[in-house]
Amino acid sequence: MEPNSHNVELEELRDRISWLIRLRWVAVLGVLVTIWVSRRFLGVHLEVTPLFAIAIALAGYNVVFWIVGKWVPVATSEAGVSYFANFQIALDLLALTGFIHFSGGIENPFICYYVFHIVIASILLSRVATYLQVTFAIALLVGLALFEATGVIRHYHLRGFIPTELYQIRTYMFGVLFAIGTMLYFTAFMATSITSRLRRREAEIVRLSDALRKHAEDLSGTYEALRQLEGVRSDYLHRVAHHIRSPLATVERMLAVVAEGRTGQLSSRALEMLERARLRVRDLLSLARDLLVLSRTREAPPLGEREVVDLVTIIRDAEADFREQASQASVALTADCPEYPVEVTGDPETLKELLDNLVSNAIKYTPVGGEVRITLEQKVNLAELSVSDSGIGIPKDEQDQVFEEFYRAANARELGKEGTGLGLSIVKAIVETFDGRLSCESEEGGGTCFRVALPCQVGRSRRERAPWGI
Amino acid sequence: MADIAGKKIMVVEDDPDATETLRIVLEDEGCLVCCAENGDEALDKARSERPDLILLDIMMPSGTEGFHFVWNLRKEDEAEVRNTPIVVLTAIHDKTWVKFYPEKGDPVYKESEYLPVQAFLDKPASSGELVQKIEEVLTSQAESVRGKRQ
Repeated sequence: MEPNSHNVELEELRDRISWLIRLRWVAVLGVLVTIWVSRRFLGVHLEVTPLFAIAIALAGYNVVFWIVGKWVPVATSEAGVSYFANFQIALDLLALTGFIHFSGGIENPFICYYVFHIVIASILLSRVATYLQVTFAIALLVGLALFEATGVIRHYHLRGFIPTELYQIRTYMFGVLFAIGTMLYFTAFMATSITSRLRRREAEIVRLSDALRKHAEDLSGTYEALRQLEGVRSDYLHRVAHHIRSPLATVERMLAVVAEGRTGQLSSRALEMLERARLRVRDLLSLARDLLVLSRTREAPPLGEREVVDLVTIIRDAEADFREQASQASVALTADCPEYPVEVTGDPETLKELLDNLVSNAIKYTPVGGEVRITLEQKVNLAELSVSDSGIGIPKDEQDQVFEEFYRAANARELGKEGTGLGLSIVKAIVETFDGRLSCESEEGGGTCFRVALPCQVGRSRRERAPWGI
Repeated sequence: MADIAGKKIMVVEDDPDATETLRIVLEDEGCLVCCAENGDEALDKARSERPDLILLDIMMPSGTEGFHFVWNLRKEDEAEVRNTPIVVLTAIHDKTWVKFYPEKGDPVYKESEYLPVQAFLDKPASSGELVQKIEEVLTSQAESVRGKRQ
């Protein structure tokens, strides 16, 4: 067995020894009360002096054991603890025999109290040691009975309790000794069987808990490694994104400066080619950006960075941001929000990204003269956001696929509008990050409505939640 | 609105192509252009050339050197140098979610509260956007200077 489980068992044994020491105080008290009650109320004649002497000795050695158990390093090895326990129990048996001797010997009904010592022995000691203690107890008893019967030692009669002397009656003596002896052996047998089973279980539990602890350590190590790896990956992704976007942006600017005629006049054919090149570069820039956003969203921002966000503010901002784009496309953009804040848990930039994608999609695929409506409603613990348009719609058989990466519906492709095919994947990833629900209703040629339901914050006033005082 | 012609603009950018492009646009608009490739050079030129405005790229070869330049410039002794308006021109702002503000969990997100610059422009910004942003910043700068004098 591993050293660790040894330690646990040793610890357990030491705990039980200190329990025995506490129990012994109860025994001392019990002895004193029994003496007092027997004399005072039952009128039993007792040899008080030796009985008190034994009680004092019991208390005395208990103090010694308490000190030894607490301060002396005897109890640090298994053998040490075992000797310590054996010695205590043997001493207890001697003390009990002393009590019995000075209070009637074999005639004292408390003779059956040996059984307690045997039970305690079977809890504390090994099976063999327990049987040895039983044998020792029986030897003490038999010796006491025989020596008293034969007059080698004095017999203290329990006057006022038993009218006649029984200790010299052979049949009585053997009967009592036989009954007590067998009782003690049976008790030892039963108690050690139970405790050895319990000990096996205990060892098993210790082994299991050790294995579990080891697993937990392994797991936390793996988790830490994964977390670090994730950090490296995320950092790498940002660098890659920057290294791609930065030169692309420069290329776009260089083309633009040439196209603007700042470096000299160009033929119309050259201008047209330049414009097409710029468009392709811009598509690449959006693609690099969308890939980064999608990957960032799927990493799910750590909970600690989430905060309470007012969706009404986000919608008002988006409405303002897209006003120009909508008017250029001759699309009416309206937002219908409650007068009060509708608060969800998230981070404002991610939620803005969600709305931006839905609104820019809606404007992009809505023909001239159409409309795009943003609505927000609070329904008990849900914030229901919808972006609907009167645009080209999504064909029925493609509605499930539009959330897949790079998927673009057939009618959207035909329209020839630029798009990375990642916008709705980003929307879906964001909604999932914030434990929301996303649905889409659409009819080809009849417009589209995307609905997002996010769990919302209810029942707390703004001031309570915002110690900075808004 | 103030005309940007005649203004001295310093471009802090490590990519010579990007610098060249900006120079063409700005000179075309009548500005005087000076350039710096890194934070140290930019700080020296901010002192010697006294530009009216600084166009700053954040991600330079040594990482986020642009940030250090901003904080260093704002610690300059001379008020004229210290208060030179800065327009940050970068590919990492906002859209890539790299947050520029120093403290996490701040309840109100306001860019200008965190990095002491006057404006941000996402790369690539069109010539029109660039010129407009520079005009806006110079105008509000002029107004605030006038406000202080009165």
